[in-house]
Amino acid sequence: MTARTMRQPLSLRLASGAFLGFWCLLAIFPIAWIAVMSIKSPVDAFAGNFGDVLFGPTTRGNGQGLSVLELLIGGAVVIALARWAFSGLPRHVRRLTPAGWIAIGWLVAGLGYLAVFGLVVFGILPPVLGALDAIAGPLGQPVIGATFEHYYAVWVENAFWRNFVNSLVVTAGVVTISLFVGTLAGYALARSPSNLAFWLLIAALIFRALPHSVLVAGYLPVFINSSDWLAPIFGDAAPTLYGQPYAVIAVLVAINQPFTIWMLRSFFQNIPTELDEAARVDGCTHFQAFRQVIMPVMWPGVITTGLFSFLLAYNDFLVTSLLLDAQNQTMVPAIASYFNRETTTTDQVEAIAAAVSITAPLFVLVMVFQRQIVSGLTAGAVKG
Amino acid sequence: MAEIQLRNLSKRWGSFVGVDSFDLTIADEEFLVLLGPSGCGKTTTMRMIAGLEDATEGDIMIGGQRVNDLDPKDRDVAMVFQSYGLYPHLNVYENIRFPLRVRKIDESTHDERVMRAARMVELEDFLHRKPAELSGGQRQRVALARAIVREPNVFLMDEPLSNLDAKLRVSTRAQIKNLSHELKVTTIYVTHDQIEAMTLADRVVVMKRGVVQQVGTPTEIYNRPANVFVAGFIGSPGMNLVEGHVSGGTFEADSVRVEGLEVRDGALTLGFRAEDARLAEPGEPAQIEAPLYTIELLGDATMLTVRAGGALMSVKASKDLRASIGDAVSFVVPPGACHLFDPATEARLDAR
Repeated sequence: MTARTMRQPLSLRLASGAFLGFWCLLAIFPIAWIAVMSIKSPVDAFAGNFGDVLFGPTTRGNGQGLSVLELLIGGAVVIALARWAFSGLPRHVRRLTPAGWIAIGWLVAGLGYLAVFGLVVFGILPPVLGALDAIAGPLGQPVIGATFEHYYAVWVENAFWRNFVNSLVVTAGVVTISLFVGTLAGYALARSPSNLAFWLLIAALIFRALPHSVLVAGYLPVFINSSDWLAPIFGDAAPTLYGQPYAVIAVLVAINQPFTIWMLRSFFQNIPTELDEAARVDGCTHFQAFRQVIMPVMWPGVITTGLFSFLLAYNDFLVTSLLLDAQNQTMVPAIASYFNRETTTTDQVEAIAAAVSITAPLFVLVMVFQRQIVSGLTAGAVKG
Repeated sequence: MAEIQLRNLSKRWGSFVGVDSFDLTIADEEFLVLLGPSGCGKTTTMRMIAGLEDATEGDIMIGGQRVNDLDPKDRDVAMVFQSYGLYPHLNVYENIRFPLRVRKIDESTHDERVMRAARMVELEDFLHRKPAELSGGQRQRVALARAIVREPNVFLMDEPLSNLDAKLRVSTRAQIKNLSHELKVTTIYVTHDQIEAMTLADRVVVMKRGVVQQVGTPTEIYNRPANVFVAGFIGSPGMNLVEGHVSGGTFEADSVRVEGLEVRDGALTLGFRAEDARLAEPGEPAQIEAPLYTIELLGDATMLTVRAGGALMSVKASKDLRASIGDAVSFVVPPGACHLFDPATEARLDAR
């Protein structure tokens, strides 16, 4: 209990609680709303009545809906699986993986978990619940309209998975290169006593300040004509860089790198130099000290910086929409193409389903790395 | 087993002199303490020996080999840092084992060596804890164990006790002294605490602003300080120093008069230790007469301080003595216990 002197008067507590609740609702509303819309038929999704959007009578009328039974059992299973992911899974990973293989262990566990989750939720639950509905009487009748046909349309019919793969390629490339270069450069700049280090950092800051469109305008003609100027090196096999994911990776890294270097540098500065020195006296070379002593301490910083790089690459619209051709498009510009056709309401709901699909991985990512992100953010690197 | 020679060793940053032509031979198995106030270049000297700082000039020889251009890892030294420098992601056992692991020493010997080092510093019960779960004293013992596990040629200790509280400092000091006796490895120990220097050292090097002031055993440094700085720095309290004039063997300053000195006439700085003077008996001729400035009870003695000759002078008296501030007191300072310094050069005038 808080001390009596620290306790606030009831009216103030009520007021601040109400404000906090209102603010949370306001913040979560757009995302919750598109999530609700994405599982309704277009008639319901764009209904003028608030309740119709929420409960979807037309969708229900089409025979697509969730019964009370399905809501209860399905919800319980999903919640149980999610909770196990944060309690049971880490314990098993720690117990079963041999020392030094923990990263691989987490990767295997994460992929395995995804597979099991998909199998249970999409493979086992629907037929089982369908059978239960048939014998449950009134509890088995659908109460809330819900359809996953838009997701099916987006991912399977419109081949959104291709955009997903492209996004994965681009973000993985950007994050890997940014972190690889950023950790090495950040460490060197954090430990260098030279004046040059300062001016390099200032130069990086200026590059970061440039509008992205300036960089893109600079790269675009070079990429389009790349088969000409690369011909002396590659001969006839010279590639046209325009439209290729790795060209986008190069541009996004160029945009992002100054920021990652700055951020990682301030993380490295928080690590006392005595650690490097102790390691070097104990028998490490400079690089071994970096690899074996500094990096293990740096994980929160690397993960936080990696997340920011990921967000930049994942959410980028300008660079990807200008530099990628249609079949290599990432997810964000791909959504825009839904609106560029002669748009029907079905297209719009599909665009919404695609938008929800884009958001979901971000949630998972933040949930998985929340602890490291918080300790990284509070380590003083990104104050203010 | 290694003898360390420092030849004309200097460190400069631009025009700032960190260490000025340091010349010293440190014998094998010697325990050498570098002593001085902060910023005197003692830590820089040690870091140059470790290889963490490049020497601007001069040679560092370890075991007869010039090591100036060697990496720290190739100099076969072990170092204990002031703020421990433990690896936070490893537990105590792995921290101690780290030097063996990176140096690729035969794995089958690791466990035995780690356990022996842990036993020496009494850490067996904490081997599976992370450094963050240890107290300051335990952390410093982990750092010690990590240094001794490899059996290096040279130990370097950079103010290892200054982050510990007073009680722990005394017990860890005793532990270090015992360890060094047992291990018989050349040790260089940096401190600004003159008590640590006196208790631990075979030899002490007193430094000030990058310049060596005196090199000698603790006894020599205490009994025959080479100059005014060493006299005032060593001892608790430091030596009483008063400036005045000598004529015909009689030293005079405000409230101070000492007769029977064998020294040339002229300006003189006179010093004496608090325990070498005493309170005058009633009617006895005294060398210092002044009102009492302060009285401090130390338990085993009472420290009386007066203002005389423009300085505060402390004298140890019996533990039962009580007096009030402002009382007139007189002290006997035997001429034979006086240290004489030239005020211009601050160097010792060797009258005796």
